[in-house]
Amino acid sequence: MNQQQGAPPNANAGGGGPGYQQPRTEMEYLCADCGAKNEIRARDPIRCRECGHRIFYKKRTKRMVQFEAR
Amino acid sequence: MPSQTFDNRRLVGIHAERVTNVSNNEFPGHYPGEDHSWNLEKFKKNLTVTVQRLSQHSIDFDIVGVDASIANAFRRIMMAEVPTVAIEQVFVWNNNSVIVDEILAHRLGLVPLNVDPSLMKMREPDTTPTDQNTLVFNVDITCERNPKAPKGTLNPHELYINSEFLSSHITWTPAGDQEETFAAKRPAPINPNIVLAKLRPGQQINMELHAVKGVGKDHAKFSPVATASYRLLPHIKITKPIPPSKAEKFQKCFSPGVIKIDPRTKEVSVDEKNVRNDSVSREVLRHPEFADSVELSRVRDFFLFNVESEGPYAPERILPEAIKVMREKLAVIRQAALALREKTTTVDTDVVMADS
Amino acid sequence: MAEAVEKIKLLKSSADLSAATYQIHDESHTIGNSLRWMLMKNPKVEFCGYSVPHPSENVINVRIQMYDNASSIDALISALEELDKVCEAVEDGYLASLREDKFERWVERT
Repeated sequence: MNQQQGAPPNANAGGGGPGYQQPRTEMEYLCADCGAKNEIRARDPIRCRECGHRIFYKKRTKRMVQFEAR
Repeated sequence: MPSQTFDNRRLVGIHAERVTNVSNNEFPGHYPGEDHSWNLEKFKKNLTVTVQRLSQHSIDFDIVGVDASIANAFRRIMMAEVPTVAIEQVFVWNNNSVIVDEILAHRLGLVPLNVDPSLMKMREPDTTPTDQNTLVFNVDITCERNPKAPKGTLNPHELYINSEFLSSHITWTPAGDQEETFAAKRPAPINPNIVLAKLRPGQQINMELHAVKGVGKDHAKFSPVATASYRLLPHIKITKPIPPSKAEKFQKCFSPGVIKIDPRTKEVSVDEKNVRNDSVSREVLRHPEFADSVELSRVRDFFLFNVESEGPYAPERILPEAIKVMREKLAVIRQAALALREKTTTVDTDVVMADS
Repeated sequence: MAEAVEKIKLLKSSADLSAATYQIHDESHTIGNSLRWMLMKNPKVEFCGYSVPHPSENVINVRIQMYDNASSIDALISALEELDKVCEAVEDGYLASLREDKFERWVERT
């Protein structure tokens, strides 16, 4: 059906040993209530800096996705 | 219009619970002493094609004097084999609207485009797109708050900019020679006002769309018609006079305008111009006082076509395009048959007796 | 699909082709029924019938049996030619009626 293309956004060349990738510790999430961007690191409290809401959405992939119009 | 009479053989009987005399048997050898072998001159003499009504979207025409198989072939080709151009591939860079990519892609495929299919070639599956067989469209739309929105309004069109993703937001990007080829009419959706998604501030859609030529039997989005249908001309024969006191009740058994009542004598008659509008509901046969006074039927070779165009073709162009496709198909099969005859007559016949 | 399959294949047939089954590729009832009708209008044809053997295969089988050991493939070819003339006649009649311009024109609101 659909297929994703392009390199992963944070393919980290030469980091660590062979086959090892540095896990990214912070990620941007969107607040489900106010829509503000929040950087949340591992073990951070899950709480919006703007409104205190506790539900977040992951951002959409930046890769192109292909579909058949059927 | 004089009262039309039809040979009984041309009538399909319609009774309360059954239809009779359904198929045409005019083949050589069926009726003793009658010649029903194919005769083009006779066929042409019996054939009448009449356009009845035409609007900018639809056409009504009659084809009289052909077999159902021919009328049906035209109908099937109009729906499934007359080519059009439609969006086939959707490359989504961003879409954070509430409509998911799959659904939006499917909707985009169904948008009718104004592209003349004769200007494009069919793209064979799994081949690279070229300017001959693919049109590229782009969509880049972002919804924002309208800073000049009137105070207190709740109307999304005033509150936000680009609150709707419309078919008019699909813009064509020419490639290669396309700028010249499509100069007469820039490729775009036929209807600019189709709502494809609703947006709210912060949501955006960014996509590339590839349109290709195809036929309706592959996918309905390629069909050039909304409907293409035929029905048979209704025929009503009043066999016994209807008493004047029952005239209005009799009239109400049929669709409006089908039965006339003489204002003076209250005599009922069939309006030959309007019989085509009858729904053939058989209501009249439910009343015992009328059941023996009328014979309902349809004329087997009198086809009333209705075609609604929903694509780049004007409604009156659909039938000629269908006939063109039909004749191309016949020509291809004829060439293959000629080649087969050549092969079977030159080579020893034993060789070609291939069992399947 | 660059003409990999032949358009018409001869299935079972008698040696003189007076009775034969032809398999036509990439065709359906559209051609099948019209062709069957035109073949049956031929007085030299004893029997003609067609079928779509399976909906997942885009083929039709056309069976033709002839009187007096006539050639079924000749009947097939002439039926195709006559069908083309039928199409031509319908198109001519339709275009003539359009040109006559005696029909009702109306404006459809959408």
